[in-house]
Formats: sequence, C-alpha cells, structure tokens
Amino acid sequence: MTELFSLWAESLPQLLLATLTVTIPLSALAFVLALIVAVIATAMRMGRVKPLQWLSRFYVWLFRGTPILVQLFIIFYGLPAIGITLSAWVSAIIAFTLNTGAYAAETLRASVQSIPRGQIEAAKTLNYTGWQTLRHVIAPQALRIALPPLGNDLIDLVKGTSLVMVITLADVFQVGRQIAATTFQPLALYMEVALIYLIIFTVLSWIQGRAEKVSNRYVRSTNA
Amino acid sequence: MLELKNVSKAFGDNQVLQDASLTVRDGETTVILGPSGSGKSTLLRFMNLLEFPETGSLSINDDAVTFGGRLTDAQIRSVRKHSAMVFQGYNLFPNQTVVDNVSLPPVLNGKLSKAQARERAQEVLDRVGMGDRLDEYPDNLSGGQQQRVAIARALAVDPDYLLFDEPTSALDPELAADVTRVMVDLASEGRSLVVVTHNIEFARQVAKRVIFLADGSVGFDGTPEEFFASDSERIQRYLSTYGTA
Ligand SMILES: Nc1ncnc2c1ncn2[C@@H]1O[C@H](COP(=O)(O)OP(=O)(O)OP(=O)(O)O)[C@@H](O)[C@H]1O
Ligand SMILES: [Mg+2]
Repeated sequence: MTELFSLWAESLPQLLLATLTVTIPLSALAFVLALIVAVIATAMRMGRVKPLQWLSRFYVWLFRGTPILVQLFIIFYGLPAIGITLSAWVSAIIAFTLNTGAYAAETLRASVQSIPRGQIEAAKTLNYTGWQTLRHVIAPQALRIALPPLGNDLIDLVKGTSLVMVITLADVFQVGRQIAATTFQPLALYMEVALIYLIIFTVLSWIQGRAEKVSNRYVRSTNA
Repeated sequence: MLELKNVSKAFGDNQVLQDASLTVRDGETTVILGPSGSGKSTLLRFMNLLEFPETGSLSINDDAVTFGGRLTDAQIRSVRKHSAMVFQGYNLFPNQTVVDNVSLPPVLNGKLSKAQARERAQEVLDRVGMGDRLDEYPDNLSGGQQQRVAIARALAVDPDYLLFDEPTSALDPELAADVTRVMVDLASEGRSLVVVTHNIEFARQVAKRVIFLADGSVGFDGTPEEFFASDSERIQRYLSTYGTA
C-alpha cells in the first residue's frame, strides 16, 4: 500500500505538468477558437448567401462525419505529402478547433431555430434592425438554450485531447502511459490519470451548473 | 390615413385575399371581422409588413410602398414605423424585465434617451395598470398582465396606428376584461386602433367602423349600426355563428 502511495506521489508532478502544459491549454485554446468558428459557420448557414450556406453545411458534415483520430492523422501525417508540414501542436489545435467547431455550430443553429417566430415578429413590429434583433432578442435567448450542450462539447473536447499522443504530444495520458511502462504499474497509473480527468470534469460541471443558473434566471420555476 | 389598395395574397393554391382595398381613418377604432380563415390576420399583418401581398400598395401618412418587387430594408422600416402590433400570444421578450421590454424599443429606435424612455415606460405601464411590476420577468406574469405589458410596449414607440390581432382570445374572460378595458380607454382617447377580433360585443360597443372579410375580399365596410342591421345573408350567417359565442 505504501508502495502505491509513493508511486502516486512520485508520478503526480509529471502528470500535473502535462495536464497544465498540454491537456488544459490545448482544450482551452481549441474551445475558444471553436466557438469563433461556430459563430461564423452559423452566421453563414443562417444567412442569405447560398454558396456560404453550402460551405457551412459541408464543413459541419465533413467534421462531424469523420473520427477526430482520422482528422488528426490527415492533418499531421497526411498534409506533409502535399507540402504542408505543421507541428504537432498546430495540428492538434487545428483538428480540435474544427472538430469541436462543427459540433458547436450544430448546437448554435438548433438554438437559434428553436426561438419562437413570435419573438422575431415582435422585434419587427418594434422596427428593430437586423443587428438589434440579433443582439437583443436572438443571441441572448439562443445562448441560454445553447449553454448546456456547449458545456458538453467542452467536456468531450477535454477527454478527446487524450488522443494527441498519436501525433507525438505528451499530454497527461501519454505521460501516464510512459510512467506505467517503466514502473510496470498500469492499473495504478491509469487510475491516477482517470482521477485527474475526473477532477477537471467536476470543475467544468460545476461551472456549467452556475452558468446555467444565471442564464435561466428569467425562466419560470420548473428548472430554474 | 392608412390605405391598402388592391392587395392580393395566395398561400400555395389557397387564394386568401383577392384585390382587397380598405382605408383606416385616424382617431377612430376600426374592427375587422370575418369567419376563421377569411384572411383577417393576413390583412392586418400587411399593415405592419409582417406579411407581404403579391400585388397592390400600402400607404401610411407620408410613406408608401408598392408590392410585387423587392423592397429595401429602409423602405420597409419607414412604413413599418407608423404602426405597432399587439399579438394574440403577447410575444414579450422573456429575457428582459417588464421595464426593459417597454423602455428599450424607443431607445433602439433612436427616439428617446435611456432616461426619457424609462420615464415613458413608467407612464405607459401605469396606463395599463402594470406600473408596479417593473422588475418582473414576463414568465412570472399572468396572460392578461403580459398582454397589458405588450400594449404598453407598443405604446412606448408611439405608433400612429395600434394593431391588435385577437388580443384577448388566449385569455380567460376575467383577464380578457382587463385587457379590453385598456383598449376601450385608448379608443376613447382618440387613438387609431385596428382590431381583429371574434368579440362581437367589442365591435358593437367600441368600433366606429366595421370591416367584414369574406371570400377573399372586403364584404362590408361601414358603421357597426349598419353592420348589425345588415340583411346580407353572409353577414347574418356570420353573426349567428359568432354572435352568441
Ligand atoms: N404562413 C402561411 N402559410 C400558409 N398558409 C397560411 C399562412 N398564413 C395564413 N395562411 C392561410 O391563409 C388563410 C387566412 O389566414 P388568416 O390567419 O389571415 O385568417 P384569419 O381570418 O385571421 O383566421 P382566424 O380567425 O382563424 O385567426 C387560412 O386559410 C390560413 O390557413
Ligand atoms: Mg387570425
């Protein structure tokens, strides 16, 4: 038992370092970029320009329809064949941004479309401009609806980053694997890695809950 | 003066309105009656450009549009600013408090400063008996209260014409009475109201003018006295169906 504790204590700094230098910054950066991509894709999809609508649909179709692992491989190992060589970091950022962006775009589109027609008509009768309608009517209501699924997209993203070891990045999982291989203690190490993911998950869930509570303040009792 | 001329509209092969024309005079209450599906809402929505006829024209005071071609946003907004709609389903913004619902529109329209709009909101909310619920969210109000806030919101942008599409038909009689009282109050003050309703009593007691829609066009246009005395078979049939409801 004491042997196990000392193994955990010894490996913890390395695992935390990998978490803080790869898993968390990669997730955070990719998520912020994914939100930007998603807003642009949604604007294109809901706009009036047909070719942009198609482009947006194509993007979402492509990135939701293929595994993130395949996307990572294509970007990191495939693109050099046509002269595009990207570092592991850049490849990971691009892949996770575009992948999560596609899911988030779907979430945003569904949220905007779930706003009752009457809301848009009320904005029209008050003679709001398109921008005012978006800013004061559509965006705040769509955001409230989108918050829970977007939180889930973020949680999926964090767990998904455990795949970056296949393109040589040393995230928390990869570091755990290396230590497991040298100490011959896979069960103990992988449980430690799982625990770190669980802690991140718990913090994110808590934040998600708080954010939902704030954004639901105007909704009557039932689930506020 | 608000004038719709020769407007027609079909949804698929359902020709809802065919070459309908009407004029709404200032300072009086015009009630639009007609059987369900006769195109009352569609006609009312033309006035606020929430729906567009395929042909014809609309002129309100100094602004006019001709239908058929593509209208610019500027054209639409210049006509739309003359009227405001009160919907059957209220359509308050659930993410804004009562006072924000009412005070934000004139600010966004560039008509009033924030402070002025807040004052105006208090004023119109007092008018509809909701002046003490400023910080409530719409979801926490009854239907009748929401509808009165919706009327205040329409008043806040100070439209020349207030349009009502069955404002009380989603409400229990008691709550409907509160809303009707507000409307009667506005009518007696000389506001220009256009009201689509199935409430025959409202037409009898409040309207200066009744327009009856049937078979895609205006079947009657005159005073309530004339309307209720009409021996038209179509109107008689309508009154015997809706008059007792
Ligand atoms: N957006 C739409 N798409 C297709 N059909 C429509 C649409 N809006 C209205 N209609 C049809 O047009 C006809 C007239 O509708 P409208 O809502 O103007 O009638 P109404 O006189 O207001 O009826 P009610 O008293 O039931 O409210 C109906 O047959 C309706 O089904
Ligand atoms: Mg109707």
